[in-house]
Amino acid sequence: MVFELKEGIFVLDDLRNVSIKIGKVIEEEEEWTEPLGPTPKPGILELRNWDRKLMERYEPFYGPMQDYCNLCTMGPCDLSMNKKGACGIDLRTSKARLVAIACCIGAAAHTAHARHLLNHIIEEYGEDLPIDLGSDVNLEAPNIRLICGIRPKTIGDLRAALDWAESEIVKVLHSTHIGNEEDYTDYESKAMHVGMADHVGMEVADIAQMVAYNLPKAEPDTPLVDTGFGVVDRTKPVIVVVGHNVMYARPVADYLEEKGLIDDFEIAGLCCTAHDMTRYNAKAKIFGPIYYQLRVIRAGLPDIVISDEQCIRADLLSACKAMGIPLIATSDAACRGLPNRNDDPVDEIIKDILSGKTPGVFLDDGEKLAEVAVKVAQEIFKRKQKKELFLTDEELKEEVEKCTQCMNCVFTCPHNLRIDQGMKAGQEGDFSKLAALEEVCIACGKCEQSCPKDIRIINVIMKTGYQSLVSKTGKTRVGRGPIQDTEIRNVGQPIVFGQIPGVIAAVGCVNYPDVMQDLRDILEEFLRRRYIVVTSGCHAMDIGMLKDEEGQTLYEKYPGNFDAGCLVNTGSCVSNSHIAGAVIKIANIFAMRPLRGNYEEIADYTLNRVGAVGFSWGPYSHKAASIATGFNRLGVPVVVGPHGTKYRRAYIGKPWKTENWWVYDIKSRQKVNIEPAPDVLIAAVETKEEAIVQLARLCIRPNDTTQGRQIKLTHYIELSQKYLGAMPDDWHIYVRSEADLPLRMKDKLLKTLEEEYGWKIDWDKKKIVGGPIRHFDAGFNPTIVESVYEKYTRK
Amino acid sequence: MAASGKVKKEEKYPPPKRFQVADIQASREATAVKPEVVSRMVNKAKNPVLVTGKYLLKEPKLVEVAVKFNEKGIPIIATGGSSKPLIEKGVKPESVVFSLHQITQYMLDPEWKGFNGQPYDVVVYLGFTPYYLSRMLSALKHFSKITTIAIDEFFQPHARFSFTNLTKHKELHYEMLSKVVEGLEERK
Ligand code: SF4
Ligand code: SF4
Repeated sequence: MVFELKEGIFVLDDLRNVSIKIGKVIEEEEEWTEPLGPTPKPGILELRNWDRKLMERYEPFYGPMQDYCNLCTMGPCDLSMNKKGACGIDLRTSKARLVAIACCIGAAAHTAHARHLLNHIIEEYGEDLPIDLGSDVNLEAPNIRLICGIRPKTIGDLRAALDWAESEIVKVLHSTHIGNEEDYTDYESKAMHVGMADHVGMEVADIAQMVAYNLPKAEPDTPLVDTGFGVVDRTKPVIVVVGHNVMYARPVADYLEEKGLIDDFEIAGLCCTAHDMTRYNAKAKIFGPIYYQLRVIRAGLPDIVISDEQCIRADLLSACKAMGIPLIATSDAACRGLPNRNDDPVDEIIKDILSGKTPGVFLDDGEKLAEVAVKVAQEIFKRKQKKELFLTDEELKEEVEKCTQCMNCVFTCPHNLRIDQGMKAGQEGDFSKLAALEEVCIACGKCEQSCPKDIRIINVIMKTGYQSLVSKTGKTRVGRGPIQDTEIRNVGQPIVFGQIPGVIAAVGCVNYPDVMQDLRDILEEFLRRRYIVVTSGCHAMDIGMLKDEEGQTLYEKYPGNFDAGCLVNTGSCVSNSHIAGAVIKIANIFAMRPLRGNYEEIADYTLNRVGAVGFSWGPYSHKAASIATGFNRLGVPVVVGPHGTKYRRAYIGKPWKTENWWVYDIKSRQKVNIEPAPDVLIAAVETKEEAIVQLARLCIRPNDTTQGRQIKLTHYIELSQKYLGAMPDDWHIYVRSEADLPLRMKDKLLKTLEEEYGWKIDWDKKKIVGGPIRHFDAGFNPTIVESVYEKYTRK
Repeated sequence: MAASGKVKKEEKYPPPKRFQVADIQASREATAVKPEVVSRMVNKAKNPVLVTGKYLLKEPKLVEVAVKFNEKGIPIIATGGSSKPLIEKGVKPESVVFSLHQITQYMLDPEWKGFNGQPYDVVVYLGFTPYYLSRMLSALKHFSKITTIAIDEFFQPHARFSFTNLTKHKELHYEMLSKVVEGLEERK
């Protein structure tokens, strides 16, 4: 007979002839007084009602990229005009399925990353390594507490959370198999489910690396590190790390430190490994995001490249090979066709690389990797001849002369850049048009593939735009990881009441519609207006490259606290979990809402009260899709740049459907119609101007106090006037009482309400008597979840 | 399809180049039409609207064209900040704050009465980032009966009607826009 005993204390009396096998002994846990909520480690069904509620308001929008489906061999099928394919799936549902698949890929990336790290760290440090995020963070792992109902104390405890995330991702992936769901809302619910799991995966990864590798722990004033194309001292050998998992390249920094060589080398990173390398060792530098990969390699800056995983160019090896730069691949997710040399002696590996016998190797043994990388870089550096970057003047002329203005490049370029016009001007001796392309080109290389004359277009752009390229060199404040409990204590109330007008979280990739400067402009607008700005990943490094007239980056101008008018860099992609974490902590630390397995209540709290908005100006990765979808389930709206429409799906509410906008008010015990705030969960905007106004708009929450609403409305109206040239069309629907109106414009706005919208105004008292969707009530306590309503009305 | 009207052979362009060679997975491609067809569609429409985007902030000629549409009584939904130059020229847009993404979501709902009390049947797009507009046109193609007309310099495969690709010929594009405007009848 086998008994399975779950966690807890068991007393066994009077047993005979029973042999007891003991698996993992769990020590009696010190009391976690928080009650266990309804959904610890939820499966697909547990939060489905919440998702459906969200989708009733924020209806999924589909803008298909293709009219056909060819995922199985019964196809291809024409699904246009919402027809059904051979399997019975219609267009809408098939697009929802694709979104769920994209989110699975994104969530799997972080979760596999976490698994790699965790296994490695447990092997190196043991599973009992305590999770200590410093004295200012007592509420560590808010995502894991909330979603899994676990309070991890040691690294080993993180396994249970990760096991859960992995199993949910597999379940959702299963559902995308032919013949499963037939309603698009179910795929959307699943996308939200894996998006949520993604936040657990990210949190496991970042906690594990912060603890084991001693990365900064919630410190606001981390060091500033050099960022941009011009960061490296080219009189030293340059080791370039690229990818998203610093675990592999970390030993290189240790090796250099040990040998006393750290100052004789340059370590610079591309993408999130750069963030995490600087978090590990602030002597490392940041080159930039994915679109700097070909810039850096074609310039021949690296003496060796070490790649790990995710968002690395799939032609990295061939790009390196063309420049004679050896490559070491380290992650089993991206072996790059290279031989696994883990079992070979270091000298042999070095010999094979330097002799050119192999353009690179696969090597994930940290010690060997470090030695090989350093020694190879040293030798390649010695051999390297001083060459002009990208092209010589002669070569530039030759390349430009070849162009026939066929425009093949223009119609493959994701931004339809007018390379042809640049080339034409170049042929006439004016290189300024080509140079200007440097700002907008994402160095994807598609144009070169389509050019019948084999022009090295990227090199031409970078050579002519060299000044602009090197001038984008500045400082990034090293990723700090989580937000302190004390910081949350200080800002929780002003955020929930609205006096801090909002939290803008700029995260994600760099497929910007225009110049990088737009991102800085957008964020600075909010910093000046004393919003809290949080950033991570590629957005965080891009703003580290741009200086103002005084030569300062935003990091040098604005402090790194989680507070009004401050700019927080949490770190790499996996550090996004701390942004969700901060939102969750507000509900717990400020409002004392229990977290443990209590997802729906906290998401509902966030949606109604926490004016936080995600922003991804250049989204492209699957990870960005799942992170955003995870934020959406948590009640955080997200604004994306125009390329974000290619995710095909958005969640957009219809403010004119007044029946969709209601809450239960716990105070008055009534169902109340409310203003549609926020009216979008995820949507794309086209311009910087539009991004700014939408971000301000989406910070408005039903729970705002009058003072908070007044502040938020003031910014919304001012920004709309500044960037759109007019009052926003819908400002009046956010007005509940005269106290909501911006002070400076109060009389004028009252008049407009009376004349244009027919509201009743008592002019003696300057009071609104009739007109608003609802009146302000100081004790208003909104929820859209029945069980939450019951819980708090029962009390 | 509302306000379709027949398009004669001589009013069409041969299949043009798309703004993005890879954006080809379209079962039903737009008909590439001459400016007269655009004017006719708008004239015949019950409730047409012009939606404007980003490039009005960069190309004054597009602002001029939009203003002329408005002068003929066609309402404008301004997105992406395109309201600013339009308002400076005296236009009063139907809306300024909603993004094209939001507007498209509203249009997809047959219950939406537009900003002026009745649903739009013919929607003309001017001044948009092509890949952004492409997704919106795709949504409307698959999930609505609205007649969409793209009059930017890029051929838009998912529209019902589009200009041919004029990227090479900016002047011709401007000429064609002027012709559209000339052909518009005053709406009461
Ligand atoms: S490399 Fe630059 S110019 Fe070429 S297609 Fe990509 S973005 Fe366009
Ligand atoms: S594809 Fe090549 S030849 Fe044709 S316009 Fe572009 S750069 Fe010139």
